[in-house]
Amino acid sequence: MDSAFSQLCVLGSSLVLIFGLILLWRRGVTAYINAFVWQSTVLSAVTATVGYFGNDRELYWVAGGLFLLKGVAIPRLLRRMERRFAAERELEPYVNTATSLVVSGLLVLFGYAITRPLVALSQLPTRAGMPLAMGLVLVSLFVVISRKKALTQVIGFLMLENGLALLAVLGTYGIPLIVELGVFLDVLMGFLVMQIFIYQIHETFESIDVEQLNRLRH
Amino acid sequence: MAPAPLLLAVMLAGYAAGALAALAARGALGRGLVAGCALVGALAGLLLGAVCLGAGLAPTFTASFLPLTGLALRLDGLSAFFLILIGVVGAAVAVYGFGYTEAYEGRYSLRWLGALLNVLLLSLSVQVMADNALTFLMAWEAMSLSAYLLVLTEHDQPGTVRAANWYIAITHAGFAALVAMFLLLSAGELTTSFAAMRAASLAPQVRDAAFVLALFGFGAKAGVVPLHVWLPMAHPVAPSHVSALMSGVVIKMGVYGLLRVTIDLLGGGPAWWGGLVLGLGTVSALLGVLYALMEHDLKRLLAYHSVENIGIIFIGIGAGLMFQSYGLTTLATLGIVGGLYHTINHACFKGLLFLGAGSVLHATGTRNMEEMGGLIKRMPRTAFFFLVGACAISALPPLNGFASEWLVFQTLLGGSAIPQPEVAVIMPIAVAMLALTSGLAAACFVKAFGITFLAIPRSPEAEHAHEAPRSMQVGMVSLVLLCVGLGLAPFAVVPLLGSSLAGLGGLAPTAVAFTLALPLHVPGTFGQMSAPLLALGLALLLALVPLVLRVLGADRRLRVADTWGCGRIGQTARMEYTATAFAEPLRRVFAELYRPSRDLSIDFHPASKYFVQSIEYRSEIHPWFERVLYDPLLHGLRGAATRVRRLQGGSVHLYLVYMTLALLVLLTVARWRT
Repeated sequence: MDSAFSQLCVLGSSLVLIFGLILLWRRGVTAYINAFVWQSTVLSAVTATVGYFGNDRELYWVAGGLFLLKGVAIPRLLRRMERRFAAERELEPYVNTATSLVVSGLLVLFGYAITRPLVALSQLPTRAGMPLAMGLVLVSLFVVISRKKALTQVIGFLMLENGLALLAVLGTYGIPLIVELGVFLDVLMGFLVMQIFIYQIHETFESIDVEQLNRLRH
Repeated sequence: MAPAPLLLAVMLAGYAAGALAALAARGALGRGLVAGCALVGALAGLLLGAVCLGAGLAPTFTASFLPLTGLALRLDGLSAFFLILIGVVGAAVAVYGFGYTEAYEGRYSLRWLGALLNVLLLSLSVQVMADNALTFLMAWEAMSLSAYLLVLTEHDQPGTVRAANWYIAITHAGFAALVAMFLLLSAGELTTSFAAMRAASLAPQVRDAAFVLALFGFGAKAGVVPLHVWLPMAHPVAPSHVSALMSGVVIKMGVYGLLRVTIDLLGGGPAWWGGLVLGLGTVSALLGVLYALMEHDLKRLLAYHSVENIGIIFIGIGAGLMFQSYGLTTLATLGIVGGLYHTINHACFKGLLFLGAGSVLHATGTRNMEEMGGLIKRMPRTAFFFLVGACAISALPPLNGFASEWLVFQTLLGGSAIPQPEVAVIMPIAVAMLALTSGLAAACFVKAFGITFLAIPRSPEAEHAHEAPRSMQVGMVSLVLLCVGLGLAPFAVVPLLGSSLAGLGGLAPTAVAFTLALPLHVPGTFGQMSAPLLALGLALLLALVPLVLRVLGADRRLRVADTWGCGRIGQTARMEYTATAFAEPLRRVFAELYRPSRDLSIDFHPASKYFVQSIEYRSEIHPWFERVLYDPLLHGLRGAATRVRRLQGGSVHLYLVYMTLALLVLLTVARWRT
């Protein structure tokens, strides 16, 4: 029973990380949004699994909320933005694909190294997934740094948020519902603010390339 | 003490009501409410101080406020003395402000001016009663910030913002030093109470460090050279009644703090503490007056004189600290009493002079003395009040400046009681410097009064000047009376001041040191002085002059002619002696210090160089400190800031990289730290 649980956790975590890695080699916002939808879906599935095996009813609610927010609502807003900025779909990163993949590999290794004491300490059957979640956090940060278009950075931020949520679920069997609700609200607010910013940036510079912001310095 | 809590409540309520009323009411009603509430608060504070000082006990009153906030007040002799000082100047300023701020109607925010004035008075009063470091620092900060905002009142005038920035920068540097000092004094205990600090036994090095920090922090507020640079900038640009309050009271908080910390909390220290204070005081006194001599901006001139007088106060306190370290407690008390006496005297006459300068500014719209002249005919009362202030600050008997400077001199002459040769050299040098300072101050006020009020108006504005409104005159008259009263009655004031020090830092029981007698005896020295007899003598002497002239057979016919006209007819203002010309000899004598830059351009008539068409003379002095001390400092700061600024590439990605790197480094450290 426990081994099946732990296998499912590792499988789910790996999928979550892989959907994150898609950002590194696919080009085009549509692909990113799809990857984010799948990642969020898998994340809510993992949450539900932990709820099922850990006998925690609350986690079903969290899983449902996660799916509705990150699998349905935010992607819809993202698609609307994508249509708006259709002319800017080509995304050229600062770092090319091959290098990005190598760096990401190193970051995931780093994630393993960092979480080792946590994994050693934990008795939970879910512990094997934690390094993958940490890896996703680091890789998402790398995405945010290395991409130019604001839309990509927003998706990178949302994936980072997913990584943290996954870490929380795996590490502690989920945080209390009320905290989780607060985090949802936080994500939604953060996303809306970023959305407004992107529209503003687009209005000011006629582009969502954040390099343009350099011009603000004087 | 039944009346004390009541008076305290009235005082706090008065100021608080004034601050609120200022925001609520407008126009003449608003100004009246501001002035009225501030007056009530100031008078209540004055009475509170007087009641406690009269009782002669210390401490007479303790209050712990709102336990959760950690505020605590305690009223002892020193607090009572400073409460009186705040009350005296605060009351005069409040009344004066009613008339003075009328001109601000519609130009500047009168509501904030009135509210902040009350906040400033409130924070000053709380400050001197603070019984723990928290209360003290909070009141200190409230005082600094409200004074800063008051300086900014005329924010659209050139130089105001710059002056306010200097003020706030230096005062906050001082604040940082004070926080560090209180941390040292608390000796690692989690307490801010003054009682615990008094009881703490600290290592000598810690005490020395605390003293140096205190001297820096309080010196910055008091405007001691070389921390004075903000003072001649900030005082002139503030509204004049605020200048009077700042110069009369706010900078005295530096004196209060220094006494509270070095005498009360630390209980005195080694001789070099006193020596340092004495030295700084001497330098401040001399440089303050020397720079004042070169000023032609009336309020800047007065501001430099504040530096000078703070110097004199510090001389008294420094000498007192020195005597205390040698165990000569009577002389120590004498020195500190001299300092305190000069503190309240300076508050009175400098407050008066700033109010007088405010009336002149109000009437002529300029602070430049070269555009004044002849005002004695147009505003005779203001001229008289200013003259009294000028005589007092020049230490002419029988006014108050003389009494306190005489006491400081007596203290310094007592230096021979110390058996150390180096001290025996320091004190006479200080005496000489102080004497030079007094002489130069008198010269400076001959200039200030003469150029401003005498002769012919130099500009149309001065020509059409008008006397100050009644409320402003009332404010000035109250201070005039105090200047005369404090000067005539040192025999009554000095024992009172002595009792305000009772119980602090093992100073002598002052009832023994001073007794209430008509001639003031100075124990430990040979000096004695009776101000009333002196005044009588002077009056007789003045009466004698015409008598003697009559006897000698002077010409008795009445002649009407231009003063100093040398028989010329049709003098114009261009023939007058100017302030620049008056100061020129001293500018040459002290050229080494001033390093004046002169620029003389003469236009000759093309036919002959003996016919001059116009002469333009420009002379500027550049204060030495700003160049030597502050320019490198500012330069270094700017350099460092430029270097740090390179981190700010302006690229969002760069900032994200910083954040990520910081995260990675932190994770690594947390993971692999043993």
